[in-house]
Amino acid sequence: MKKKLVSLLMVATMAASMVACGQTATEAPATEAPAADAAATEAPAAETPAAEEGKVFNIYAWNEEYKGFFEKYYADKIPADVEVKWTIVPSDNGAYQEALDNALLNQENAAADEKVDMFLAEADYILKYTNSDFTQDITALGVTDFSNTYAYTVEAASDVAGTVKGVSFQCCPSALIYRRSIAKEVLGTDDPTEVQAALSSWDKFDAVAADAKAKGYLMTPSYAETYRVFSNNVSQPWISDANELQFDANINTWMDQAEKYVKEGYTLTEGIWDAGKNAEMGKDGKALCFFGPAWYFNFCMGPAHDEAMGDWAICEGPQAHFWGGTWLLAPTGTDNPTILADCMNTFINDEAVCENLIRNEAQFTNNQAVNAKVASDPEYASEFLGGQNDVAIFAELAKNIKFQNVTLYDQYCNEGLQTYFVEYLKGSVDSRDKALANFYTYIGEKVPGIVTPQ
Amino acid sequence: MDMNERGRIKLIITRFLAYFFVIFTCLLCVLFFAILLINATKTNFQLQNKFSIIPGTNFLVNLKNAWLDASIDIPRGMLNSLIVALTSSLLTTYFSALTAYGIFAYDFKGKKLIFTFILGIMMIPTQVNAVGFIQLAYKYNLTNKLLMLIIPSIAAPAVFFYMIQYLQATLPMELVEAARIDGSGEFKTFNQIVLPIMKPAVAVQLIFAFVESWNNYFMPSLLLTDSTKKTVPIMMFQLRSADYSKFDLGKMYMFILLAVLPVIVVYLIVSKSIIKGVTSGSVKG
Amino acid sequence: MKNKKSVSYSKWGYIFIIPFFVVYIIFNLYPQILTVYNSFFENYRQGLTQVGPNFVGFSNYVALLTPSSEGTIDILRYLGNTMIMWVMGAVPQFLIALILALIFTSSRLNIKGQGVYKSIIYMPNMIMAAAFSMLFFTMFSTVGPVNQVLESMGILDKPIDFISFTLPARSLVAFMNFLMWFGNTTIMLVAGIQGIDESLFEAAKIDGANSWNVFSRITLPLLRPILVYVAITSLIGGLRMFDVPQVLSKGVGMPDRTTFTVVMLLNNYLGTSKNYGMAGAVSVLLFIVTAILSTFVFKFINKKEEK
Repeated sequence: MKKKLVSLLMVATMAASMVACGQTATEAPATEAPAADAAATEAPAAETPAAEEGKVFNIYAWNEEYKGFFEKYYADKIPADVEVKWTIVPSDNGAYQEALDNALLNQENAAADEKVDMFLAEADYILKYTNSDFTQDITALGVTDFSNTYAYTVEAASDVAGTVKGVSFQCCPSALIYRRSIAKEVLGTDDPTEVQAALSSWDKFDAVAADAKAKGYLMTPSYAETYRVFSNNVSQPWISDANELQFDANINTWMDQAEKYVKEGYTLTEGIWDAGKNAEMGKDGKALCFFGPAWYFNFCMGPAHDEAMGDWAICEGPQAHFWGGTWLLAPTGTDNPTILADCMNTFINDEAVCENLIRNEAQFTNNQAVNAKVASDPEYASEFLGGQNDVAIFAELAKNIKFQNVTLYDQYCNEGLQTYFVEYLKGSVDSRDKALANFYTYIGEKVPGIVTPQ
Repeated sequence: MDMNERGRIKLIITRFLAYFFVIFTCLLCVLFFAILLINATKTNFQLQNKFSIIPGTNFLVNLKNAWLDASIDIPRGMLNSLIVALTSSLLTTYFSALTAYGIFAYDFKGKKLIFTFILGIMMIPTQVNAVGFIQLAYKYNLTNKLLMLIIPSIAAPAVFFYMIQYLQATLPMELVEAARIDGSGEFKTFNQIVLPIMKPAVAVQLIFAFVESWNNYFMPSLLLTDSTKKTVPIMMFQLRSADYSKFDLGKMYMFILLAVLPVIVVYLIVSKSIIKGVTSGSVKG
Repeated sequence: MKNKKSVSYSKWGYIFIIPFFVVYIIFNLYPQILTVYNSFFENYRQGLTQVGPNFVGFSNYVALLTPSSEGTIDILRYLGNTMIMWVMGAVPQFLIALILALIFTSSRLNIKGQGVYKSIIYMPNMIMAAAFSMLFFTMFSTVGPVNQVLESMGILDKPIDFISFTLPARSLVAFMNFLMWFGNTTIMLVAGIQGIDESLFEAAKIDGANSWNVFSRITLPLLRPILVYVAITSLIGGLRMFDVPQVLSKGVGMPDRTTFTVVMLLNNYLGTSKNYGMAGAVSVLLFIVTAILSTFVFKFINKKEEK
């Protein structure tokens, strides 16, 4: 019996090794052949979308958010013989960009069914793709009507010459999200207009922070909670034209504020995505202010939904800003240009879909007409925000968004600075300089060729 | 008499302390696994509050949540890991045994040199050639191919060394001679006579190679970026980077449990021969 | 007659070792040469733009070994981190393994159930380091069970953020390494002690030597070669330290980069920017250190082989 088992094992081994050897032998030419074909057919395919298109629609994304919308509101419009394939790589530490870069660099050689047909990108690094030959002009594909979209979303998806390479299905003005019950204790009111009046500048914000502390509350749940408010309003980009890393005055102000708030006990040393910050959203939460767009409070404040439903409201806060946003970009070399263009058009111009996105999915869409319609609908109210019409507020905030001073490397700079600066706040390193030196080292390793100040 | 009595008491005390020490270290090893197991049975809410050693009743729910999670496709990861670990451990053991036999049983020019060479490269970690390896993988479009993790396992100097030691200790050349006289070809002799004799060594190395491959993180993390090709250790890092606001801790413990469980189960079944294998491998003189 | 025969079979020796060498050359040796070659080039990706390869001589090495404005040489700092964490784990690992090995081999104590104990202490070695590290991260996080227990017992009034401070963060890495390896070391040392000629112990007993004398005069000196062997293989393993600190610190080596290891640096260069030049230089330095240490192991094994 045992003998049999062993000999069986050996046969399996042999078979496996033969199969393995056979595969390597045949695989190399197999991947090269279609590459040559693809290169030959690529150019005409993009110009004549009516021609035979690929049977696999490949989408790259870093999370499941858009996938849900796509499946609910678009998937049934795709020809039955086309399969949609999602490649989802979490974005942390630049992992999504890495995977996407590899796929795009390989786009020319990839088999038709493996080519990227559409990919998602965030504001922090969208420039890298729009300002390259790896994305293509979507107006040539038939996405031409931007009359209802917010101008900044189109700017963000355009290269330096103004060629539009993609669209966003959402608009992401970010608001101050406050906890009504704590606002009543600290400010004596939970009315959005009055709260806004009390928090309309950073000086007022600081004063309220002291009050909150005196009454046993936290102003914010994370040292980095206000980061985007500052970083979004910078007057110079992270990387200068001479390829040098530079600090805008706003970033310095944020560091001062974070340091002061931690020292005074106005906030915690938890990162914006950490478990400890999360606990502050729950029933025992002590934090007054959170910052974020519609996607944030609807999808990233789980404990708040579970344990403190309706105890929230939004207002503009000290400074207008936006956070994130997801763009759909058109890669060069896609073999499904028709589906791609149709999909993009649907998410910005199909009013029924956009309205569904607001009403069913709690999005603030990139269609001003639809947003305005819902904003003026007296029936519409957010349960989470205790009956507030968030769309009406966001419609106002969206007017102030500017897409400026962004660089290819903002994700590394924004994430890296927060990661290493908090070590100073926690006391893990003894000086700010040391924390920043670590940040420079990190940038040096992740982004070669950047001159860091030292 | 008095001396004897004292000696006996001393021995009892020493023995008690010895048992205490041994059991303490054992508990230390089991403790973390036990906490993992207990926490995998609880709900997110229970886990966020007080820790208790009483198991919860949420095991199946956590299992379902982890198994069906959209962003960390653990069944896929386990399947990928299984494919790589199974095939590479089979290749490693078979070809190491073959190479060992080739050097052990035949006299040829340069044999001594080749043997010394393999011993020399035994301790060089794969990390130091990762740059070239990854560069080649990108150049020939071989990233996201599990084969790139499987094929290299054919050349495993440490396993070779184990095998040749085993051959030196157990294989009488007379047996090979006898097979030749019976007209058996060399390849057939190896597969039908030598390999069965090496069975214990093969079994031990099969398990070691399987575990090593299952747990391997560095190279796969550089090579596999496609979510359908990822192996379990890569998913552990993904878990570390996960956004906690959307995360259920019960599910998290379940992911970790799923990552370590297959190997633990195999280990519990064959631990005896593994323990024997540990020593005979490296320092058997 | 016999000689002639073995000559006629010698080609089989070559045939049987061919697969090993073909694979070794393609997947190990050639990449190794490429790695060294790369270390002399500027070759990386900036965004989607490829920079290089341009021959730059030794500048990658110079960049790697040039002190920063604070006077520290980063790679040496990471090597230092790696070694400190290795030592912090290895000292208890060897001490406890030695005590356990003496307990297990003592005929006087005659410990029962050794097989079970050995199986248990070896078990952590089987656990995926990445998963083990993830487990520790969860357990020692500010909202994890360790803090929960300490708080409910009244020892703490505020949770400790273990991985944000150098000593606890390094201790966690060291403790995991210790847990994963002390069982292995124990088993090696048990085999080593059992390999010592029984008659030496008998003779010592007749001469009336006490247990300490037996240990210090016989067991330890005769165990030394194995101890050195195990220590150096452990050191080589320690140099490659990656999985545990990578997962625990989410790849950034927090706090203050004090849990950042050499292989994590290699990973950072290789991962995002495909910086083959700098990664090559790091690899070559790592290779040199490993190669020097390996010669000790090699000598040890070779001696055994010649016996």
